[in-house]
Formats: sequence, C-alpha cells, structure tokens
Amino acid sequence: MTVVSFQGSASEQGLAEEVYRLMTTQGSFFALDAPIKQTLANLTDFLASKYQRSHADIASQIDAALRANDTLFQRQEIESGVLYVTSRQGAYVPRSDADTHSFRQRLHEPDHPLPIDDISVVVSTSRPAITTVEPVFVSDYWQVQAGMAPVNPVSVSIDFGHASTVPTMPVSAGDVAAAPKLVVAVPEPVAAPERVVAPPEPVVAPPEPVVAAPERVVATPEPVVATSKPTAAPKPTVETKPATAPEPVAAPERVAATPEPVVVVQKPVTIRPDRNTVITLPEGLAIDLRRSVPEILAEYGAQLEKILADRLDQDPLRRIVSFGRSYYPEASVINLGKNDLRKIRDYILERNEPLPDTEIIADLYYHNPRQSDYEGFRFSLNYRLCREKDFEFVGVEGARLWSTKGLPPIGGKRVKAAEMGQITSYLAEGYDNSLELQSAEAITKSGALNRLLTFFEWEYGVLPFDASIAALIPTPMLPDQRSAVLRFESPQHYTTYLVEVRYPTGNRGGWLQGLEEFFREHLVPGALITISRGSEPNQFTISYEEAAETSDRLLTLDEKKNKFAFANLTYYCAVDVDQVPSQSRFGRLKNLKSLPMGERRKSEIVLEHIFEVMGEQAGTRSDPRYTLSLGDLLLSYNVLRPGSRSLLESLLVNGESFSPDEQNPGKYVFIPAPREGGSEEGAEGEEGDGDLQPARRRFGRYADDDE
Amino acid sequence: MITFGETSLDKLLQWLRSGGEPKDIKDVLQQYLLILSKSVTEDSE
Repeated sequence: MTVVSFQGSASEQGLAEEVYRLMTTQGSFFALDAPIKQTLANLTDFLASKYQRSHADIASQIDAALRANDTLFQRQEIESGVLYVTSRQGAYVPRSDADTHSFRQRLHEPDHPLPIDDISVVVSTSRPAITTVEPVFVSDYWQVQAGMAPVNPVSVSIDFGHASTVPTMPVSAGDVAAAPKLVVAVPEPVAAPERVVAPPEPVVAPPEPVVAAPERVVATPEPVVATSKPTAAPKPTVETKPATAPEPVAAPERVAATPEPVVVVQKPVTIRPDRNTVITLPEGLAIDLRRSVPEILAEYGAQLEKILADRLDQDPLRRIVSFGRSYYPEASVINLGKNDLRKIRDYILERNEPLPDTEIIADLYYHNPRQSDYEGFRFSLNYRLCREKDFEFVGVEGARLWSTKGLPPIGGKRVKAAEMGQITSYLAEGYDNSLELQSAEAITKSGALNRLLTFFEWEYGVLPFDASIAALIPTPMLPDQRSAVLRFESPQHYTTYLVEVRYPTGNRGGWLQGLEEFFREHLVPGALITISRGSEPNQFTISYEEAAETSDRLLTLDEKKNKFAFANLTYYCAVDVDQVPSQSRFGRLKNLKSLPMGERRKSEIVLEHIFEVMGEQAGTRSDPRYTLSLGDLLLSYNVLRPGSRSLLESLLVNGESFSPDEQNPGKYVFIPAPREGGSEEGAEGEEGDGDLQPARRRFGRYADDDE
Repeated sequence: MITFGETSLDKLLQWLRSGGEPKDIKDVLQQYLLILSKSVTEDSE
C-alpha cells in the first residue's frame, strides 16, 4: 500500500490524514487508481458533528488542510460546492487511454505504408457479397500520407488547461491586441456587509476563444460579473458574503468581459499542398499538364502508354488489370470456377486445336456479342485463363487463341524446341540476310514475302523466324508469350494448316513449324514460296508458282536407315535450279551424316563436315585440304541445319581451319587439324558413323519434349 | 505533387468502371491525362 505523507501544520496534517482515511475507507473497494470523491459540505457535516464545532470553522480548516496537501487532494469546484478527489494509491491520476502500440494502430498506420496518393479513402480489395465494391473508409492516416489531409481541429493546451477547437493560426502582436480581453475579478475578503464590487483587472488573454463556454462560478453565492470598464462597477450585481465568512469570494474566474460573443470566429483555411503542373517521368521526361491532352499524346503517347501500363501493373492493390492492351477494373472481372476451367479445357481438347475466346464464349456460355456485358465477360475469360497454368495463350492481337495441356503438338516432335532455339540462334546474333531481296517495309506494306525453300525447311516443315518473317507475322500480344498459332491456307489445294510460331527469346532464335505436310506434299527444296497475310490477323496464305511436271532425283532423308539418299521425285512447282539438291549436281550430299540435332547446333562442326563431304580434295590423303564454293557450302549447310550466308562468312573468316582459296576466288579452303594416330580411315569412313549417332525422330516417335 | 500512375488513380478506376467494358490503353491514357489536367486546373483556380 502506498504510504502518504502530509504537509502543513500539525493540525492541518492531522486533519488531512483524517480526511484521507475517511475517503479511502469510503472507497476501500475501489480500484487503486479509481477516484474517490467527497464534497467539502459532507466532510464539514461529518467533522463538525464529530468535534462539535461550527460548520464554518471546520469547513475553513478542512479547506486549508486539504489545500496544504493539494498533491494528495485534487480540489475541484463544481456547481454544488467544492469537491475533493483522491485515490487509494495517493494522488488521483486520471487513467491514460493512450494506446501507442495496439494492433489497431499498426493495422491502420503501418510503418511502411503502401503508396497512396490523392485519395480520401482506401479501397478494400476483398470482394463483398454485393457486386459493387464501395470504398471503405479506413483512416485519416492515409489522407495524411496522400497529402490530402483536411485541416483538422488542433488541440492546443494553454495556461488554463483548456483545449481550443479553432484551427491554429500564427499569433501576431496585432492579434493579441485585438483579442477579447479577459477580465478576472480578484476576490478580496469583505470586512463589512457592504456591497463591494471587485475591481476588474484587465488580463490579456490568448487568442483562443476560451470563454465560449464560461464556467459557472461556484465559490460564491452568485457569479461575479464584471465589465471591461471600471465605470460599470457600481452595477448592483454583486452579492457579498458576510464578513464572518473569511472564505475567499471566488477563485480567479473567467467571465465574459464584453457583451459581444467572445468566440473568435475564424474562417477555416484549407491549405492545399503546392501542386506542380509538371510531372517528371523516368528517362527525364517532363510533361506540363497545362498543355492540351492531344498535344501531349501526340508527342509522348507511346512512352506514356508504356509507363502507365507499368505503373498499373505495379499497383499493389491491383485495382486495374490488363490483358494485352485492354484494361478493366479488377473488381469487375467475372470469376471463373474450377468447373468453368475444366469445361473450357475439355472443349479445347474435344476440338483438338487451340480455340479463339469468342468461340469458347459462344459455344460454352452462349454469350452474344450484342449483350452489353459481352466485352467484360470476354476480358474476364482471357484474364482468368491467362493466370491458369493449364492454359496457354497462343493468339495474336485480334485473334485470341487458347491452347491447353494435352493438345497434340503442332509440327510434330521431330525437332525439339530447345534444339531449334539454339540452331536458329544465329538469327538473334545478327547473321540474317533475309532482307536483302525484300525490305521489311516492303513486306509489311505488301503483306507478302517470297523465299526459297531449303532442304532442312522442306524436310522438317520449319521456317526460321528471320527478319523477313518477323516483318510479316504479328508480334506477341503478351509480354511473356512464347508462341502463337496461325492458320495457313493453301488456296491452290484448299487445305489449311496450323502453324506454330515460336518467337525468339533472349539469345535463342525463333521459327515456324507445322508446314511439313504441305512442303512434302507439293514442293521440293529450292521451290519459291509466297506467304501472304489473310483476312484475319492469324490467317495467312501460302502459295507457290506452279510449273510443268518435272521429275528428278532429289535428296531425301531415309528415315529407316537415317541416311540421306536420292530418290525420284515429281514436282509441279517453279524452282531455282541452283538451289535444288539434285543428284546430278550435288551427288555427294548423300554422304552427309544425319547428325543428331545436338551436334547440328554446333556451327563449326557442321561446316567442317560439309567441307569433308562436299569439298574438293586438293591435298593428299595424309594432309587433306578441301575446297568448296560459298554457294555450294550454303546449300549443303542448309541440308543439315538452317544457316545464312553471313553466318557462313563469319565462320569462314573467324575459323582457324578455314581460309579463302587464293587460287580459286569465291572458294574456301578447309584444312583439318592433324588427327591423332594418323588414321587413314579418312573421309570414306562415314559408314562407320563413329561417335556421331544420328537421331531417329519421326512424327513424334519420341514423346519427350524438353519444354 | 503529382505521381504519374498513382495520383487520381481512383478517378480513373471510377471512369473505367462506369464504362462497363475494357478499354484500350490508349483510351485509358487519354482519360488519365484529362483527369490529371483537370486536377491541376482546379488547383490553380
């Protein structure tokens, strides 16, 4: 228990102790810090009867004793008299409600708040039962963070212990002078029953309207009303006490000094943060918003689109979501359940090919494009499928196709994606001559391109994604899109083929696959084909120039033996005779090894092999030296793998074993490095294959796909 | 202080919601610039 000590004279200490004991006994069941209150009148009654003394006498003694111990007894003047407050633990200290580390505070006022600006509310991302999401007011804290905090009443403590409810303003000397003055009546003991007017003493008051609710005077029978002018003093409004009561008339009280309203009415001032009309964006882009919007769009439209898209994607609340170039409120996106996803997947598998979103919506949800919510539903479908791992977007802008797991691969599995990506990486490295005959602008403008078919392209139905094709084919619609499915139509044969575009990624090249059947059916290597845009963004036509029937022995790949061979072929297409791998001209091609794809991606190994097989042996058997023209080299190289003239030139220039043939301009020489052991097996040992085991892949014989 | 992509995003969201259908980024950008310009104009007034 708290030990208290008492101040004052001995009699005052004794009286204070008795009063304290009385009050703590009265509040013995109170909490330690709970206030125990007692009026002076009650104490006087009790002690006057106890000690048989006059009320006035004992009251003054009590008051004096408790005033001497004001640290223990809090004195309050109320309407009915004087009230003393203490507690069992000593002086009464009001309980503090300060909550400095509550979960509620940490929830609403985090240390690292999310970037919120210029909003007066924070919107909850949780989906309510109703369809519309209403803003949920969370805390003014966010408004403060956003610099949009309203001017709130500021509590300013003053000498009198009052709080002002008026916005704080700087106080100048003029304000002080003009402020209403507070007149305090100074009580004086009255010796005679005369009517005495307390002389008003002007006191400069702070600017706060502290007299808006003047406290009632409690100490004296009547409140003392004073005017600001001493001449008004004779106003008979003051009642005095008899002289026998030495009690002060009143404690200093604040009364209305003038008849005017004393509340200082100040116009609320909203201080807006300074707004800068110039926004500064990354890369030093500064835009003055006072300019017209069309003007800004014309100058910075593309950059701002990208920046805005990035910012919306980075919004931690994800309020606006996107699919491609379309943006929609996340709260408006319709949810698709597991059953919906299963239904869509089953339907795609049933149709056995990637399907456009419009077809899925029409066939499964019976939505009509005329319905007002059609576009919203369409966006929702695309947005949801895009986030599902079982679905892959394979569409382009204007034709949003969806594929799913379990669909047969387009173009078979004769070439693995990882291998083709590496084989065509020379395009990503810049060795691309595809625009020498046709510029990208011409292709884009005409919507068509011509190209000669190589043996590799013909054999595997693959077209490298070079610059000429890139100028024709739509770009990926989504940032991380790796492939797209196009529909190639052959107007000459009324057939349609699904073609998969594998877009280049990083240092890996891209390619088109799925034309194997068309090439093998109607064309031969060396044929000139034309690819044109169709009526839809994902539709193209593939055609060739028809010619009279021609029969020739052309290079083929015997898959059973995994060897190249020549076979009689009859074709009806126009060809570039120099590019046709016929037996009469390129008889040695059949000696090429059908290297595994893993070996074919090594450019130099393939080139050396080409030289050894196709080159003219100009040296001796022990010191071989092969020469070959660049044209023949290019054709032969494209039997085993795609390659461009610039790629071969680079290999020939940079390879230590290769050099231009000075005796035969236009030809190159390959001098193989001396072999260990001086084996004379030579180039004729191809049949043995050695460590080069050709791959056996045909029409998905191997089910594994490294992607 | 105007932060492009953050300031007045709630107004953009409101506009997008009231449209009832997805909007192209071009339209979104145009509307956003309008909102920002308007806010600047109002402030300067």
